[in-house]
Amino acid sequence: MTHPKKISRRTALKGLGGITVGLPLLEEMMLTRGWGAPIAEVPTRAFNVFFGLGIPAPLQEEGYDGVLEPLKPLKEKLLIMRHVDQVRCDAKGINAHFDGSSGAFTATPPNGEAKAGGASIDQLIRRSAYPKGLPNGMVSTLVAGTFFRRSRVSRYVHSYNPDGSVAATMQEKPRDLFDRVFGTLGSAGEGDLRKERLKRSVLDTVVDQYKFYAGQRSPLGASSRARIATHLERIREFEQRAYEMKEKHPQAPQIPNLSQLAHGGHADPGGEGIDMPLKDLTSEWRLMADLYALAIQIDRVRFGSITFLAAGERLRITGDYEYNGKKVFTFDDEKQLGKSGSGGCSHEWWHRFNEKKSNEQLRAHAHMKMQEVAYFLSRLDGAEAQEANGQSILENSLITVSTESGDGRHSDSKRELSGIFHAITGANNRFKTNQILDLKAEGVDVYNTMLHGMGVQERLGPQDREYRAVDKIRA
Amino acid sequence: MRRMKSSTFALYLMVISICVFPHGSVGLSAQKDERSSMTELVRNARGLLVLYTFQHAEGNTIPDVSGVEPKVDLVIENGKNETIQNGVLKIKGSVSIHSQDNISSLTKAISQTNEVTLEAWVQPENLTQAGPARILTISKNPNERNLTLGQEGDHFDVRLRTTRTSTNGLPSLSSAKKTVEKKLQHVVYTRDRSGTAKLFVDGRLIKEQKISGELNNWNGSYQLGLANEHGGDRVWKGNLHLVAIFNRSLNLEDVQQHYRAGPDAETKLMVEKKADPNAILFETKIARLLSNHCLECHDPATREGGLDLSQKSTAFAESDSGKSLIPGDLIKSDLWQYIESDEMPKNRPPLSKDEKQTVKEWIAGGASWTFETIDPALYQHQSDGIRTFARRLTVNEFIETVCVIFDVDISSEAKKLLPPDLRADGFSNTGYNLTVDLGHIDAFAQLAQIVIERLDIKSFAQRFEKGRTLTDDNMRKLVQDMGRWVLRGPLDGDEIDLYRGISTTVASAGGDFDEAVGFILQAMIQSPRFVYIMEQERSSAESRYITGYELANRLSYIIWGGPPDKTLLDAAERYELQEPAKLREQVTRMLNDPRAREHSQQFIVQWLNLNRLDTLSPDPKMFPDWDPKLAQNMKRETIQFFAEVVWKQNRPLADLLKAQVTFLSPELAQHYGLPPQDESSARYDLQSVSSRGGLLTHGSVLTIGGDEASMVTRGLFVLHDLLRGTVKDPPPCVDTTPVPTKPGLTNRGVAEMRLKNVACGGCHARFEPLSFGLEKFDGLGSYHEKDHFGNPLREDGQILIPGTAKTLTYETSAELMNLLADSQRVQESLTRKVAQFCLGRPLMAEDAEHIQKIHQQTQKNGGTWQSLITAIVTSDLVLKSPAVPLSTTSHSNVEKK
Repeated sequence: MTHPKKISRRTALKGLGGITVGLPLLEEMMLTRGWGAPIAEVPTRAFNVFFGLGIPAPLQEEGYDGVLEPLKPLKEKLLIMRHVDQVRCDAKGINAHFDGSSGAFTATPPNGEAKAGGASIDQLIRRSAYPKGLPNGMVSTLVAGTFFRRSRVSRYVHSYNPDGSVAATMQEKPRDLFDRVFGTLGSAGEGDLRKERLKRSVLDTVVDQYKFYAGQRSPLGASSRARIATHLERIREFEQRAYEMKEKHPQAPQIPNLSQLAHGGHADPGGEGIDMPLKDLTSEWRLMADLYALAIQIDRVRFGSITFLAAGERLRITGDYEYNGKKVFTFDDEKQLGKSGSGGCSHEWWHRFNEKKSNEQLRAHAHMKMQEVAYFLSRLDGAEAQEANGQSILENSLITVSTESGDGRHSDSKRELSGIFHAITGANNRFKTNQILDLKAEGVDVYNTMLHGMGVQERLGPQDREYRAVDKIRA
Repeated sequence: MRRMKSSTFALYLMVISICVFPHGSVGLSAQKDERSSMTELVRNARGLLVLYTFQHAEGNTIPDVSGVEPKVDLVIENGKNETIQNGVLKIKGSVSIHSQDNISSLTKAISQTNEVTLEAWVQPENLTQAGPARILTISKNPNERNLTLGQEGDHFDVRLRTTRTSTNGLPSLSSAKKTVEKKLQHVVYTRDRSGTAKLFVDGRLIKEQKISGELNNWNGSYQLGLANEHGGDRVWKGNLHLVAIFNRSLNLEDVQQHYRAGPDAETKLMVEKKADPNAILFETKIARLLSNHCLECHDPATREGGLDLSQKSTAFAESDSGKSLIPGDLIKSDLWQYIESDEMPKNRPPLSKDEKQTVKEWIAGGASWTFETIDPALYQHQSDGIRTFARRLTVNEFIETVCVIFDVDISSEAKKLLPPDLRADGFSNTGYNLTVDLGHIDAFAQLAQIVIERLDIKSFAQRFEKGRTLTDDNMRKLVQDMGRWVLRGPLDGDEIDLYRGISTTVASAGGDFDEAVGFILQAMIQSPRFVYIMEQERSSAESRYITGYELANRLSYIIWGGPPDKTLLDAAERYELQEPAKLREQVTRMLNDPRAREHSQQFIVQWLNLNRLDTLSPDPKMFPDWDPKLAQNMKRETIQFFAEVVWKQNRPLADLLKAQVTFLSPELAQHYGLPPQDESSARYDLQSVSSRGGLLTHGSVLTIGGDEASMVTRGLFVLHDLLRGTVKDPPPCVDTTPVPTKPGLTNRGVAEMRLKNVACGGCHARFEPLSFGLEKFDGLGSYHEKDHFGNPLREDGQILIPGTAKTLTYETSAELMNLLADSQRVQESLTRKVAQFCLGRPLMAEDAEHIQKIHQQTQKNGGTWQSLITAIVTSDLVLKSPAVPLSTTSHSNVEKK
């Protein structure tokens, strides 16, 4: 299997084919601190990496010898946390994939189909580290992913505001992500300076209105003010893009070609699943991972989440799966399951998980997912991701990798939401790495310990619940 | 904000007990006789803001004894012409008695409710004093006031400042001649939010008059004074026995009760009679806790251990092991013993320490149970942050708003540029999920520009202002009037300044009038008041009636999915929407407008997720003949059917489940096994087609079961969407992989195997039989007597309505449809679905009482869409806004730029 060559900070400038668009921020960054130069101080960053369907707890016990093998090259920079339970996230009567995935990074049950029970880790860290907002021009939160199942938003979005609403709109195509981070705006750039000045005046008036409604004299309640404040943040970002960074760089990169995969309603036709050649899946994912990582490398993004396959994903995957140049397995879910439609999706291997059996197909799928998660993480760990303190972005950031289920059979919510796979990075030596720890702790305590380690005062979960620190993860 | 001292004000019924004492004043004896049957009467203190009884004068201070903070004590300045004795303030000459501290909290409290009552026991010295002579005033000087009760010779005169009166409160309300007497009189002036002002004297209504306008222009710097105007010259002489001000209107019953109570409130002021805290605990915590932790095993259907905790009558009854719940006795209450020891909930996480403490307090405190049945559907959401949310316009609403306001169609551009609205909790207009991203900002900017490019700015502006100059007067008038239309309500001075500033900028850049108007409109289109449905969410301990313009917007977006028209805005301006009869007139008018019919389609499209059909892709191996056009025909069938039943036939909403009519293309008719007709969408009378009729027999709905026509999925749809049922996750140790059909084993057979399985049957019995009547419809809605293995299919079954213990049997799918349509539970569920769609948010436990009233009113009026919408928009769910705490902690970065 071959993949497109990865995008790096430098290759991005040379272009990969497609339509050339302006790259305003890149130019500004070149002007301000020199292209590719490391940031003088290591910024606080936090990202959530989600993958669908989970890794059954018994398979996690095999460590890097089992399905976690693709993470082994990064083991010195990862802390694998086993026996992390999200049982308090169980929302009875709601699809088990949904509540499990809602609990990932929030440790709280959902509060609506598109509403988490509270904030996600990355958002609390963002608010704590940058109480007055991120530096101008940054994307405050980037949410992206390659996924298909979409009946409920929490299946694939993994950054949430404290009120449980989504922290940013999902970018599900490489071109969308590119536009969100690097692109120019359709409403900007007429070239008529007089008109632009007047348009700016219009925008100033609009901003004043939003400031009023988001400010201290606002007649609105807290939830509404939060929504208007978000709107205001987006306007400020818009101002940056539209009026302050719109000069095109002569070597501007080129936007990705249009996605060839199904998106929107076509990606999830009635929950029946879709056919998916492995190469198509991983090609698009890796492009997304490259773009996301590039956005972090050039300090365009410091917080957010990225999703590789939704909770309860339904794909009929076909194709040879290779690892380190060797074929590991040949996927052909429909044929191997002997069913069409939803019954022929890889999802079913999780339903069939039996720890007394080999679970060959599930292992292959989980191994593949770990390879793709590792792909993203490795993009933050190369020579181009080195920072001023001599560590990589991967080492300096708090990156939390998690999933929805520790079992997959939907046969026992307690078991299903127990032993959820978690891995974190060291966050600039705040947390242990190069270890596998059996925590036997609740997710909310693990997350709150992480927040504590990051200097965040706020806590996830019920505010009157006693904080039980899981100190063994602290460095 | 003035608040009762108790932080739990909202939860308590607060009353004042007043001892009535003999009074020696002239003329009082007759009144005393009138009241003599009551030795102790109760004054209803709800809405009380200030109270002076003149019993506790301290030096030169007359204390406010209302108990409301901050107090508005009065200071007597010269101290020569007045005396205070035995609860009477006697005024013999010019005085200066007034508040000193800022009383803006008092004026704000009145502004918020848009209602006010002034009550006084007065005994004038003469019938000639005039000016009017000020008995009570909240004012600045003789010409500027918020409120004044005065005497003008032999009649009373009340001046109230509103947005429609002068700053002097003119025109005033004057009583008839000879209504003032030299005896002690009980005078009450009350004005409700609809603008109806009434004057009562001695418990009798003597004058009623419309004083239109709102009270939000009250000046918070004015002071409260007695017996004279600030600055003097309007002295009132006589005796004052009691003065009180409320921020609510008093009805006749209230007034008469206060009259009977008399003026001499002695010492029992502010005795709080608390509502049962144990009952409050039940309503606020225990009901939710039982719902979330207990009812899946202890409801009428399951009754494990013979215990049903969903109803008051059964929760305290004998279970298999005796009584589980004994009020006040923790030792003997098995419920507590099991919970404390973590034996319950079985196979579920134990209750937290706090939850256990709550249960313990509740049982020990008497285990109050204030309503009969706990409905789990009410407790699926926490209320926080959902009930009040500035709602961004949906894509459809934005398009419609532009279309109505500017007569410009931007639908194709808007659908392309604006990110789509995602479904949440069953609808895509759910406020909390209408987030905003950079794409929205860019789109709003582009769409604003498109609107202006297509707009005839000259003629548009001339609708509001004929003048075409950029002078201040002209532009301010234009901005004010045009802004009222574009932003769906009046602009305040700051807003006018802001938009006027754009025209100044344009002028200074050499631009002309049309260019200035174009840029002003672009700013308005991107402004929060255009993009969001904005309301004042003032901090308040109680809910409040929304303003006329807010109501106009709620009405129009609920009924039309777009902005108010001129008629509605004008009605709001005339304060007619606060008057029930005129409100109903408007609602009826709006429901008769074609836009109401068109917008109602959004309900059926969103509820049944009909846009799902746009991407329906059945397995070609199972359905080789599938044509994607059929999916669109199915969608059209359901929309046309809805229009027929709801609008053309005006039938009860529940008839959607059984109406024997539909609309089919020739291809869809063939797909259904019915004779095709030539028309692209022909009407079919299904009276003779026993297998079809009602929504559940539409391909659009049947396809939710997937290619395999899953009985689980179809049953869950009926359970969740029609019966408001909840069901737990699959039980332990069960392979949930769907079992395939085979010769001798149908979907029904597979389902029955599950029902017989001890581990599965308990829950599956709640929903799978609901779809037994649909077995003859395959995954794409075609009708068959046998499946593809030749197995005969059935349509008989039985259903269990959630909350009941008795199963109902049916022989045919038609009988199932009738059972569902006739079920009160289903009818209630439809009411709730429509209410959720109208409110743009999931319903909460706090809404239950309102929903019940809406449902009852709807059923009384035929159960139709029109009656339901009318009931919803005239209910407190729409007329009022809930109390909202103003948090200042969330967004410290918003002022940064």
